[in-house]
Amino acid sequence: MEEKDLVRLSVEGNEEAFAVLVNKYRIKVFNLAFSLTRDRDTADDLAQEAFIKAYYALPKFQFKSGFGTWLYRITINHVRDFLRKAGRVKSLPFEKIKESAIPQEDDRMKKEKESSQEERRKYVRQAIRALPEKHQVILSLRDIQGYSYEEISRILKISPGTVDSRLHRARKLLRKKLAPFLSQKGGSHEV
Amino acid sequence: MKCKKFEKWILLALDGRIQSRDKKKLDEHLQSCPLCSSLQKEYQALLDSLKEKDFPEPKPYFWERLQSELKSRKALEPWTIWKKWGVRAIPVSLVLIILFGAAIILFSPQESLELSQSEALLLRNLNPLEETRALLEKEGIVDKNMELIFTAEEKNNGSNNGARRYLP
Repeated sequence: MEEKDLVRLSVEGNEEAFAVLVNKYRIKVFNLAFSLTRDRDTADDLAQEAFIKAYYALPKFQFKSGFGTWLYRITINHVRDFLRKAGRVKSLPFEKIKESAIPQEDDRMKKEKESSQEERRKYVRQAIRALPEKHQVILSLRDIQGYSYEEISRILKISPGTVDSRLHRARKLLRKKLAPFLSQKGGSHEV
Repeated sequence: MKCKKFEKWILLALDGRIQSRDKKKLDEHLQSCPLCSSLQKEYQALLDSLKEKDFPEPKPYFWERLQSELKSRKALEPWTIWKKWGVRAIPVSLVLIILFGAAIILFSPQESLELSQSEALLLRNLNPLEETRALLEKEGIVDKNMELIFTAEEKNNGSNNGARRYLP
């Protein structure tokens, strides 16, 4: 059955049709929430709430975009609201993370031995959380989730040019803040 | 200044979005510029760190939990609708009651009044005493007390009709 038909049946109250849509998109919706919150329980709750919002908004869905794109937009907006309410977006100024999370010069040698891919990821995640919200979202969509520029443009309702420039800015910011840590691999570089 | 342009190209190349002509120029530059070469490595390491290899799974029974939540919300819908509209309905109902009451008062039929003979005369702006006096004069009934009553009445009315005396 086509997605359009599933949406129409769901609007008419057919639970089975909605269940098919949920099972098709639950992983992606959950991952989207997880990449921005880094907490499984919170991401699960947010994913559930995003589907509930989508269910009640289904009668307004006009098929101007794909159902998935529309659903991801709802999810992103819901997670953004959550982050704003939780005050997490501005609660971690980057300088603080830099001090607390990135190993200092003195213990870098020691850390270098025990540093693993997972550790580096952890620092990078913490650094992302300190970025402005719009940069967090675009990094999450492109570099964590792997969405194409066109998909991101449709989800966020911004032009592909804006996707390009925002992503470039976000990556630059992240690299700049993580430069001391990244230099363990390749040496720092200021352009 | 040159390197700034190449930073953008490095990112485009890592994204696989660089044009082949620019890619050639970038490769040449990277071979001759250790700073940009190191920058490329940093970006590569950064993007590698961002790539999520193993996302956790959503908690079990995702649909079942969602279904139960939707059901409980549907059960609450009438109450939610009442909460939404009931508050507005109360003042509207009060206004409607007041308007209805006013309409009843304004448009209800008036009760017919049964007037006594004296009231009927008063309504016609006639003095009952004058009417009685006319009757007495007509029938020639004279009484001392009546005469006094009529005289007093005339005085009260301040009537200039002084020529009319009720003499036997």
